[in-house]
Amino acid sequence: MSSEDTSTRSFGRVPGAAIEGTMISRDSERGVEDHTETIDYKMVTFSLGGKDYGIDIMNVKEIAKFHTFTYVPNAPPFVRGVYNLRGDIISIIDLRLMFNLPAEQKDDNQPEDGLIIRMENHMLGVIVDNVARVVGISRRAIQPPHPIFADINLKYISGVVEHESRLYIILDVERIFHRDGGVSERSDPGRTEPDTRPMGQFGGEFPAHATEPQPVTHSRASGDERQVDFEFVRETLATFAGFHASEVNRQWLRRRFEDWRRERESVNKDVQLASTEDAEMFLEPFYSPSTNAFWSEQYVRRFASILPAAEHPSAFTAWNIGCGKGFETYSLALTLRDALPESRLKIWANDNDLLGVSTAPNLVFSAGVVPELFRRYVVAGRNGYSFSHEIRDLIVFEYHDVTNPSAVPEMDLIVVRDVLSFMPVDDQQAVIERIGEKAKPGAIAVLGENERMPVPEIWEPIEQAPSGVYRKVE
Amino acid sequence: MRVEYINPFVESAYSVIQEVLNVEVKRGELYLKSSSIPVLGVAAIVGLAGDVEGRVLFDMTRESALKVANDMLKSMDMDQIDSLNDMGRATITELANMITGQAVTKLHNLGFKFDLTPPAIFTGDNMEVSDPGVEALIVPMEIPQGKIEINVAIRERT
Repeated sequence: MSSEDTSTRSFGRVPGAAIEGTMISRDSERGVEDHTETIDYKMVTFSLGGKDYGIDIMNVKEIAKFHTFTYVPNAPPFVRGVYNLRGDIISIIDLRLMFNLPAEQKDDNQPEDGLIIRMENHMLGVIVDNVARVVGISRRAIQPPHPIFADINLKYISGVVEHESRLYIILDVERIFHRDGGVSERSDPGRTEPDTRPMGQFGGEFPAHATEPQPVTHSRASGDERQVDFEFVRETLATFAGFHASEVNRQWLRRRFEDWRRERESVNKDVQLASTEDAEMFLEPFYSPSTNAFWSEQYVRRFASILPAAEHPSAFTAWNIGCGKGFETYSLALTLRDALPESRLKIWANDNDLLGVSTAPNLVFSAGVVPELFRRYVVAGRNGYSFSHEIRDLIVFEYHDVTNPSAVPEMDLIVVRDVLSFMPVDDQQAVIERIGEKAKPGAIAVLGENERMPVPEIWEPIEQAPSGVYRKVE
Repeated sequence: MRVEYINPFVESAYSVIQEVLNVEVKRGELYLKSSSIPVLGVAAIVGLAGDVEGRVLFDMTRESALKVANDMLKSMDMDQIDSLNDMGRATITELANMITGQAVTKLHNLGFKFDLTPPAIFTGDNMEVSDPGVEALIVPMEIPQGKIEINVAIRERT
């Protein structure tokens, strides 16, 4: 998997390589399915007006939630507006309005479910009722559409298929948005692409892109299906939890996915993530110890073991990126104060969550939550307990977005636990670069326990340290 | 930007604009920006020095600036102006000075030592401000006269 392009967010470009593994019989209740049948067609399924539909995964760039789009005057009613997709302006089309299907009216501030459709040379957003999951099927199972599907004009349907006792109508997006009578004919009259496909002929004749030779997968269905599930989980983690798969967390994600699949299959639940709750459940084991809380004594001891024990530097600077409400930063300050009693300490802590970081300088807590070890730094106040000035004066809390330039000095220690994985991949790379610039030679970087530093020429893992701890090469 | 600096600026901007113009002020969401920022047309800038280095920029359109200046002049029983002349520019500069001055006083009370430089005002079309290496906090303020964007970029002296 090392050759896989990590920056790609698409389904379509991901190779269909299968993962080795045991075969899972999903169709045991039907008992007639050929388990070795090749999955050579993947589609993203969704519902429109209560019926199940699918779109070829090669046409789907990503699954999206549309928040606010800009209304465009004089557009057909099914054009809901334009949307800024990370800098690209794309049109948003409501498939339900386009096909005159009942559409649920959502409040203005409620996001709409949808897909980003990729065609030959442009992108388009479509709104649907619900995006369901990715389904891998055999092309041979696709049947021509029957005139009974009158909801949607026959010419937009490339076929129907049954999968796990549900009937999916496969839409032909090229035809809907490109061809005669399609949207673009009206909105983009300059387009002169001829329609080379016979209209209304579907018996055995499938859309051109479907019959193109594709990487043939001779793998067993279960392995292929698993790859589909994995890509979908990867994509939905970004949509639901802001978790972006990259070199930083790839190892963990692979491992977790296998565990997750076993967990879910043992309770007969869908492997794919359908909601924010599912995504949170998936990510539960990702978080490092003592997240959003003061560090336990055990973790403090483990952390202290990675600090330079022999020499006591006269000055020691630390950078805590993504400090949140400050639990981590105070724990770090206390740990450093005890481990380096002679050193002049300064800790820079920042977060781009204004509400969280605003409360950090004057953090108030109940006495019991601080490990015994550090009780001597705790003082009672009017509203609860807080830390003495000796500790508070060590820390500068900043409202700062780490993807922007920073004026912090060079650092001896950088703590950035479980932060990188929640940034878009480009930002992750920029931040890793910045960390490298701001680190003194020999400095220590602490990532999340399940994260890896992807630049081995600059950062080497420290032997016998917990995972995720690195030293900058001198 | 250090968390302790944020509130003094937001509070001063809010209370000074409200008092001086006697209007309802709506505060927008604060956010951070580092890339170049278009200037709406009239920009008053106040430099900061001391424990920190940085500047505060007050940005509004020419129409809003004229309305704000006229409202301020009216409250002092002075003649109205019909274009952003010397008097108008001086009035906007004064507003910037009042807000920054009050913020710096509040910061002094918290133990941070800031000094002000005399304000300057820029007017023109299609202007942009960019200072690579400094992240700016944007405080959008909405008043009946228009929008005032307060752009605070401060960094610690290290």
